[in-house]
Amino acid sequence: MHFGKNMRTYYLILIPVLVLFFAFNTFPLINGLIYSFTNSKGYGGFDWVGLRNYADLFSDSRVGNSYLFTFKLALLGTVVINVLSLVLALALNSKIKFKSSLRGLYFIPNILGALVVGYVFNYFFTYILPYLTHSTSMLADKGWAWVAVVVVCAWQAIAMNTIIYISGLQTVPEDIYEAGALDGASGWNKFRYLTFPLIMPFFTINMVLSMKNLLMVFDQIMSLTQGGPAQSTESISYLIYNNGLAGGQFGFQSANAVIFFIVIVTISVLQMRFLNSREEQL
Amino acid sequence: MLTRRQAIKALAAIAAVTPVLAGCSSGTKASTSSDGVTNIEIVSYKQEATKVFAQLEESFNAQQSDIHLTVSSPKEAMTVLKTRFVRGDYPDIIGFGGDVNYSDFVEAGILTDVSGYRGLSKVKKPYLDILETLEYVPTEGTFGVPWMANAAGVLYNRSMFQQYGWAIPGTWDEFIALLDKVKAAGVQPLYAGFKDTWTTLAPWNALAVELAPSDTCKLVNEGKTTFAAEYREVAEKLYQLIGYMEENPFAYGYNDACTAFAKGQSAMFAIGSYALPQILTVNPDMDIDSFVMPGSNDTSKLVLNSGVDLQFAVMQSCPNKDAAYKVLDFLLEQGNMQTYLDAQSSVPCVEGSFEISSMLDGMRSYIDAGKVADFQDHHYPSQMSVDAQIQTFLLDGDVDKFLAKFDSDWVRYNRDIIRKVQAYENSQK
Repeated sequence: MHFGKNMRTYYLILIPVLVLFFAFNTFPLINGLIYSFTNSKGYGGFDWVGLRNYADLFSDSRVGNSYLFTFKLALLGTVVINVLSLVLALALNSKIKFKSSLRGLYFIPNILGALVVGYVFNYFFTYILPYLTHSTSMLADKGWAWVAVVVVCAWQAIAMNTIIYISGLQTVPEDIYEAGALDGASGWNKFRYLTFPLIMPFFTINMVLSMKNLLMVFDQIMSLTQGGPAQSTESISYLIYNNGLAGGQFGFQSANAVIFFIVIVTISVLQMRFLNSREEQL
Repeated sequence: MLTRRQAIKALAAIAAVTPVLAGCSSGTKASTSSDGVTNIEIVSYKQEATKVFAQLEESFNAQQSDIHLTVSSPKEAMTVLKTRFVRGDYPDIIGFGGDVNYSDFVEAGILTDVSGYRGLSKVKKPYLDILETLEYVPTEGTFGVPWMANAAGVLYNRSMFQQYGWAIPGTWDEFIALLDKVKAAGVQPLYAGFKDTWTTLAPWNALAVELAPSDTCKLVNEGKTTFAAEYREVAEKLYQLIGYMEENPFAYGYNDACTAFAKGQSAMFAIGSYALPQILTVNPDMDIDSFVMPGSNDTSKLVLNSGVDLQFAVMQSCPNKDAAYKVLDFLLEQGNMQTYLDAQSSVPCVEGSFEISSMLDGMRSYIDAGKVADFQDHHYPSQMSVDAQIQTFLLDGDVDKFLAKFDSDWVRYNRDIIRKVQAYENSQK
């Protein structure tokens, strides 16, 4: 064991990161927790209100609707994103011409800013799509606006997930397929019993990442719908930001943020546990 | 299988680090003086007026050597400002509307009492009264200098009206008859941009000033009336107007509506004078005039919906108040106000002979006679999002549900204020 000099190096590495983490993560979290027991507007004076904000959270229909919308979006979005990006990854990993260029092309949505993408799609949904289909704008329809949000989120998120799946597919050794071919595995069976179990860790990461990103959706809402029509597309983050800062509900939305934090942590842990148990190790 | 493991670990590491990086942002503040020059920063919520303020800023800095003025007019300025307040980062002066934000800021005690400022004597009394009515509980002092007012009603395409020989309506029935006539002529009567929820408030306010008492919100806080009683007619009449707007007005935003009206796609646009600059950027030669939206058939009730569009408040934290007052002196100079009026087609809150845009001809007599009433939404708490509720109502058309929710949400969002108001009333007895 090397104490002394080595330990000092470890501390030198550890402490700055710990300080940064505390300053930018733990401290704001504690701060938010404290504000969640007040009726603060974010500035000026405030009163302590105990657990009133938490009690209100469960009776506020607007908060309830934002959770419903966000979960609807996250569940459908996660499925759509993972299915499509897995299909794309398989296609881009097969023996095709212009493989590298195509991979680059499909990665472009990830480079673009979410706001830019949102504004372009906003124009698309308001003017181009209604013109082509002779219908009214999806974004103005309470029942359809959330689908438009799913489309935009998926269009952009698929790029990153595809790259992760491609890198997963490349770690599957060729000899497994050769052995499988001897046993007569091909087509769907080859994917079902060989490829998919071996890229399971990548599937886990993609599921957790896309679920988490969709639960925290914000930019797309900001640029596409601003929570409308009729407050049908208010995501939790959007509501926290909008009502917490502009609306002067800083204390109440801090309570919302605390609950939301607990929800996300719980979901991520459950997802990791469930999916990890199904991973195959070579 | 070392490569496999490594790849997986690397990915997990990337996934863990990403949110940390996204969490960092910086805010800079430059209001302390360096080399004897005092910096004064104004944040104005009038994004439309960015150019005029740049012009005013330049001429101020050209004539002053010991004060340096910076004016910024960010998009969503009130959100930007409140976000800065949360961090304890205050500009020196803020330019904002006479609305519920004023009530909140006064209550929070972050604005300076300017009742001793000599420029205040130039401001017309009705606008100072508006500021008084905005205070939740009567507070000693004046905390803003009203600078510009706006007027909301109906903007119309004057040349189109002349071409068809349409007359300006004076009552609600005449207004509906006009809308029918325009429709019959094959012209789109009204255009709206209800995708941007706040635009629903323009016709809402214009109708409410005539159909509901001007202190409705105060009466409700005191428990003397309900919104269901006062706002039913407003809601029903606004719903009726939907039939005269373009198909699905909820698909288009404010910018779309301004553009459509500017291109002559509709005869009228129910919005405030603040939309004029934007309309003119699309069609600079357009001949526009305005009229007061008639909400009832009783012509004696006809009042113009007008409020404080832009006022300046000095923040409590401003270190050099004299410098801030010098900036206000400059802004209140007749020539500088005229520069703003010419660019923004506003109405001045200050005494003096100003040239007001011909696009406000139809509202002029009301302005001069002081037959004005403040926007009712200036009293609505912003977190209640009344604009979004009006949009919801206009989409599904259920008046009873809308009004019931208005009353129950009002209590829910205002209980701290209602408690304060009632405590104040009791202490006065």
